[in-house]
Amino acid sequence: MLLLAAAFVVGFVLLLYMVSPLISPKPLKLPGAHVVVTGGSSGIGKCIAIECYKQGAFITLIARDENKLLQTKKEIEKYSVNDKQVVLCISVDVSKDYEQVENVLKQAQEKLGPVDLLVNCAGTSVTGKFEAIEVNSFERLMAVNYLGSVYPSRAVISTMKERRMGRIVFVSSQAGQLGLFGYTAYSPTKFALRGLAEALQMEVKPYNIYITVAYPPDTDTPGFAEESKTKPLETKLISETSSVCQAEQVARVIVKDAIVVCMGIFRIIGLFYLGSFDSIVRRCMMQREKSESTDKTE
Amino acid sequence: MLLLAAAFVVGFVLLLYMVSPLISPKPLKLPGAHVVVTGGSSGIGKCIAIECYKQGAFITLIARDENKLLQTKKEIEKYSVNDKQVVLCISVDVSKDYEQVENVLKQAQEKLGPVDLLVNCAGTSVTGKFEAIEVNSFERLMAVNYLGSVYPSRAVISTMKERRMGRIVFVSSQAGQLGLFGYTAYSPTKFALRGLAEALQMEVKPYNIYITVAYPPDTDTPGFAEESKTKPLETKLISETSSVCQAEQVARVIVKDAIQGNFNSSVGSDGYMLSILTSGMSPVTSITEGLQQVVCMGIFRIIGLFYLGSFDSIVRRCMMQREKSESTDKTE
Repeated sequence: MLLLAAAFVVGFVLLLYMVSPLISPKPLKLPGAHVVVTGGSSGIGKCIAIECYKQGAFITLIARDENKLLQTKKEIEKYSVNDKQVVLCISVDVSKDYEQVENVLKQAQEKLGPVDLLVNCAGTSVTGKFEAIEVNSFERLMAVNYLGSVYPSRAVISTMKERRMGRIVFVSSQAGQLGLFGYTAYSPTKFALRGLAEALQMEVKPYNIYITVAYPPDTDTPGFAEESKTKPLETKLISETSSVCQAEQVARVIVKDAIVVCMGIFRIIGLFYLGSFDSIVRRCMMQREKSESTDKTE
Repeated sequence: MLLLAAAFVVGFVLLLYMVSPLISPKPLKLPGAHVVVTGGSSGIGKCIAIECYKQGAFITLIARDENKLLQTKKEIEKYSVNDKQVVLCISVDVSKDYEQVENVLKQAQEKLGPVDLLVNCAGTSVTGKFEAIEVNSFERLMAVNYLGSVYPSRAVISTMKERRMGRIVFVSSQAGQLGLFGYTAYSPTKFALRGLAEALQMEVKPYNIYITVAYPPDTDTPGFAEESKTKPLETKLISETSSVCQAEQVARVIVKDAIQGNFNSSVGSDGYMLSILTSGMSPVTSITEGLQQVVCMGIFRIIGLFYLGSFDSIVRRCMMQREKSESTDKTE
């Protein structure tokens, strides 16, 4: 009886496996595709641009600093695979004003054709205790990380819906999957990207447009180096439970994902991790208070 | 052999059940407590204020409209349980400027003492297709729903840490647990509140401060009526899979969970399932809660996937109908 049920389950799973490709989207063909990368002048964005360029895509890099953009353009062009490829650079702040972003993307589409893949990688981070983080950082981070992804996406979505094809990537973070000590200004911005992606995907699925949300871990980039300068001790200790990745590896995975028995077990493991993070926080707090009271008695 | 294993598991579960209260926070005592409710002049916020007042708390209502505040104050005062209770009204926009919010809360604490429970209920909603929503709504909603919760929380957190006690509630939404058609401007703001709550809870746990994130479903409030005026058809159809709740019921659940210091607060059986399914890396305040999550997550994920399938087909059907009617219009 049990054996029959087991056979049934195995047969069912095999059937699902065979049917699966029928519901999956057709992979995006990168050669000749127009890929736009915001935050493309450094870090993960730059590596994503390089990865797409290596596979034959036409790139539009969007960032604020013109010099950095030109430097990155030279770097990317070394990887060209044919004569036709182009790297277009446009300097704009994607979080300031929608009209500007819309114009900039219109220009890019006039030069390189409609956007096939938009990678929203513009983002920054600030860490610190909730009451110690500069007050305007909350608004600033939300503007860059969230609005700076909303505006470019909104500028390309109508054309993608007309063409009945497209890909949009939102680069969130593992800090967008769980809130950690020190990230009260950063985690909300990365959680927000996931909410945006889920809602948007439901709207655009019948139009053959697919959204990818990437959750990179700590990645070795200039942005991460900057963030590490002011990181609280607790945050450093907690981050040490996972290792720092190379940006090239992260980019490769994101580009691949952009062309589901384990939940319960992982929740148990997750709860143990949370327990260990809580004890790190408690230990640091007690150490700090001990040193403060010794300072006072001296 | 199997019987022995089963007995072991049952015994273990019973042990956890008995040990469970040891890790749970001590319940907050509402009589005499100072409760601050932002967005307290209407909807869920008003009902939460009433619920706390009925249990003997001193209330500070924060909202923008002074008239609405005074009206609500009169309404709440009918439920007084003793002579000492006070309802304080302060008019301010919690999303505009941190300094203002800090001042306002300082005034409130001078009059009614340090804040024991802060309920961040100020929030608004806009629905529509992503490309149709007015562009500045994305920034505006994020300011009211997210920054309008950051600023009051930041203004009370230091005092709570000194006193080694406190409760902060963030009123998110079921739309903060899953993104739905039409909510591209709203869901991100409610997801953001969860990220803030998780990170903040990890920082303040050793200080005996407990954060609660509430995920109400569609609730019968003036805000909801406003939102419904411009709701796309797909959003209406998808929302019909769950029913509209009464604000009093939602408020009762939120206050109960805040008192107990539960991180997750959900309403109804839909809410229960969604909370377990999306609990992710959220902290738990009771071992039984953790156990329920571990056991039920997979099953609820299967159910969830079926729901998603049905939402996708609603969206596809509406799109095809719209295109059919557009082409018939053209041929006429």
